[in-house]
Amino acid sequence: MSCAPGEPCEEGVKRRRALIVLGIMGALFIALSAASFLDSRNQVVPATVSYAGYDAIEGKRVFQAWNCMGCHTIVGNGAYFGPDLTKLYGKVGPAWMEAFLPSAGAWPTSGAVQLQLQNAAVAAEAGVDSIDAYLAKYPAAAERITRRGAHATLMPNLPLSREEIGHLIAFLKYTSSMNTEGWPPKPRVDGLAFAQAAPTSASPQPAPIAAQSAEPASEAARGAAVARDTGCTACHASSTQRLVGPGWGGLYGTEVALADGSKAPADDAYLTESIVAPDAKIVAGFAPHMMPAYGTMLDEGEIAAIVAYIRSLGGEHP
Amino acid sequence: MIRIEYQTQRLSLRFFMLMLVLFFFQAGFGLLLTAQHIDPSLLAGTLNFNIVRAEHTNLGILWVLCGFIGAILYVGPLLSKRELAAPALIKFLFYAVIAVVVWNVVAQLYAQQGLALWYMGQPLLQEGLEYLEGGRIVDIVILIGFAILCYVVLRTFPRVKDWNEIHWGLGLGVIALTFVWIFGMFFVARLDLQEYFRWYVVHYWVEGVWEVIHISLVGFFLVLMFKADVKSVGFAVFWGIALVWLSGLLGNAHHYFWIGTPEFWQFWGSLFSALEPLPLIFCFWHIYLDAHQDGKPVANMPAFSFLLGSVVLEQVGAGILGFTMTFALTNVWSHGTWVTLSHAHLALFGTFGMLGLAAAYYTVPQMRDLAGFDQRPGRLAFWLVFTGMLGLGFAFAIGGTVQVFVYRTLGLDWFGGDVAPAMQVAKLLVPVFGLVFMVGVCLLVYDLLTLGMRARASDETAPAVAPSGWRRPLSGWETGLWLLAMWVFGAIITLGLLSFNLPTVREGSRLFPYLMAGIGYPGLLLTTLLFVARFLRSLDARGQAATAAPGVLLGHALP
Repeated sequence: MSCAPGEPCEEGVKRRRALIVLGIMGALFIALSAASFLDSRNQVVPATVSYAGYDAIEGKRVFQAWNCMGCHTIVGNGAYFGPDLTKLYGKVGPAWMEAFLPSAGAWPTSGAVQLQLQNAAVAAEAGVDSIDAYLAKYPAAAERITRRGAHATLMPNLPLSREEIGHLIAFLKYTSSMNTEGWPPKPRVDGLAFAQAAPTSASPQPAPIAAQSAEPASEAARGAAVARDTGCTACHASSTQRLVGPGWGGLYGTEVALADGSKAPADDAYLTESIVAPDAKIVAGFAPHMMPAYGTMLDEGEIAAIVAYIRSLGGEHP
Repeated sequence: MIRIEYQTQRLSLRFFMLMLVLFFFQAGFGLLLTAQHIDPSLLAGTLNFNIVRAEHTNLGILWVLCGFIGAILYVGPLLSKRELAAPALIKFLFYAVIAVVVWNVVAQLYAQQGLALWYMGQPLLQEGLEYLEGGRIVDIVILIGFAILCYVVLRTFPRVKDWNEIHWGLGLGVIALTFVWIFGMFFVARLDLQEYFRWYVVHYWVEGVWEVIHISLVGFFLVLMFKADVKSVGFAVFWGIALVWLSGLLGNAHHYFWIGTPEFWQFWGSLFSALEPLPLIFCFWHIYLDAHQDGKPVANMPAFSFLLGSVVLEQVGAGILGFTMTFALTNVWSHGTWVTLSHAHLALFGTFGMLGLAAAYYTVPQMRDLAGFDQRPGRLAFWLVFTGMLGLGFAFAIGGTVQVFVYRTLGLDWFGGDVAPAMQVAKLLVPVFGLVFMVGVCLLVYDLLTLGMRARASDETAPAVAPSGWRRPLSGWETGLWLLAMWVFGAIITLGLLSFNLPTVREGSRLFPYLMAGIGYPGLLLTTLLFVARFLRSLDARGQAATAAPGVLLGHALP
């Protein structure tokens, strides 16, 4: 397919013809592109989407700043380390995302999602205000809670701020309502019925209880169970390790340095107050408004049990 | 032997050396990614997966660009019959590239704190968009760098009316390289519009610009290596570029299937991107014709091996694997899974990476004024990276097929509990082949960095073997049959992806897609491996038939 030596190749003519054909193709491409973004297509745009007062465009900036696309796909583009996020909001709903994002290292439990529903703005976005109605409306959230709740995720805890979480959910609300022409394809079977699905574990590993504990084991063990079911352990480690919030190991009885420069002893009263009204005393090095108030969700006995559990994790006994 | 004719050609050496260093780090980051896939807690919180991946993709692009710049600077004076214009600017460009690399490697780390440094609505540090992770500061420096390259190339070239096809290819290539980069320099609020423009840069770079530069450079290196007729190569370059642009311009539509743009793109994308392999077949055929033009032994086998590898992997990775997933009905399944990874790795490293390495092997000995060099490390390194990359393609494709079934067909979306365990075998295969690849990278980087600085090993004293059997001359018919076999396996892979639409598969039977992938991918990749072995053996036998020329000479004896 080459022009033999001596024959005229007529390169100039061919080049011109090729450029003319290319021009026609280019015009066609531009016409198709223009038609793609006409208003009459009714594609949703982020400027019209907000979530509980947060902004979808700001959410896109958050999404880019944290390079979410480096692990996840969005409209199928990005990395294949985690699941696609395009339609996630519509599947799991806002309360589940509110429970997940502050402590992405662990899957939210039913209690953690229930707690988010007590926020009127979140409940309004979800369209329901009881956990049972929520799980019925968002079966994917129910699946996540029953199969994965309290298990570790593959995602690191990211130090997202309260604002960033709100904007991010607004952005994912926007992508979830986009028309993506039927992608991803809807499964026709219930995957959970197949062998590839991980079996639902009855209960995660038993909570560690310090052997030297002077506390009756039953009270501390009950507190450990409440802490796990409520989702506390997604943010608080039983060691001194910092997850999202301070670790509980060795905490009891120590002097805690607070953000305002003062100190407070980590006794029963302090721990109870931190559960009921977390913003009353902020530990130095942590942001305010990160932890929800659990006063309305847990009764006094449950709070006392959690405090007993924290006490059992060691520390200086005054 | 060929000597350097123009002193400014030597400026390409530094870009090739930089390319090798970046290549080493890029492959190292890749190996780290495979380890994180197996143990996601590895370095979590210290160096998260998304950071490592951004470094991996960005360095991949940067070292390929270094290879292009090196090759263009080497061929520029030869094409123009004069020294490069503005050598001082090229020296500046070199330091600018280093600054860009260092700045960007550090800037990506800030994604771990969510810090993009927004200023007037633009992210200055990094912007978390796949392949375009660099922030606005680095974008602007890169744009200036491209402009310098354009200026140097166009000032060096003769007047436009004296351009031959290779001038046209490289000239249009560097202008388009600069032009489409601009589309990646804005924050776009709408996700569909942002993805639309992001593919301008990514697709048109690869399909419109890199491919054109690739065709031009392959053509010119064939002229240099085999003294092929510039006119016949020019003809191939013309048709190659024409077909690339005619198919690739609308072929970009295959990125617009599911990003929120209308359904009609599925028609245009399926139609035109199915034509995208045409120029690649053309290029493939040409390397066969040119390599068999004079029947003389190939003087620089490492350089030719990488050039052949580049054209063959372009055919297999970009052409065939790209074809399998370019139809809306197959893409709906492959999109967003590991299936695309096999295509991306074979196509990007194969086509463009191997071209840079071929250019380095061809030019570095000349620039170091070596009369000959020990070719064994280079040939071994070729086989290690070639086999390693084919193996990676296999592991990604098999893992991807499992992922499509579990994630899309069954709808199981717990990556830690359902998807990753199902893909475990493939996830373990990736670092196995990754290690083979990495050993090849180390050998090749060491060999090229120290070429001519080591004591030269004694020449190969290969026994003269009759060119028969596996070594007999490769005929056009046989090459055609190899190519046909590759496409037959490609068709099987395509049918396997199509079969995900079958009602039985959608109801949970994985037999058909698994069977087709199990035949198609190993078949295609093994055929590729054997074909390249056969091609290189037949050229070797030529060399041994003519052992009258002792030792290993560079280039051709000039008439």
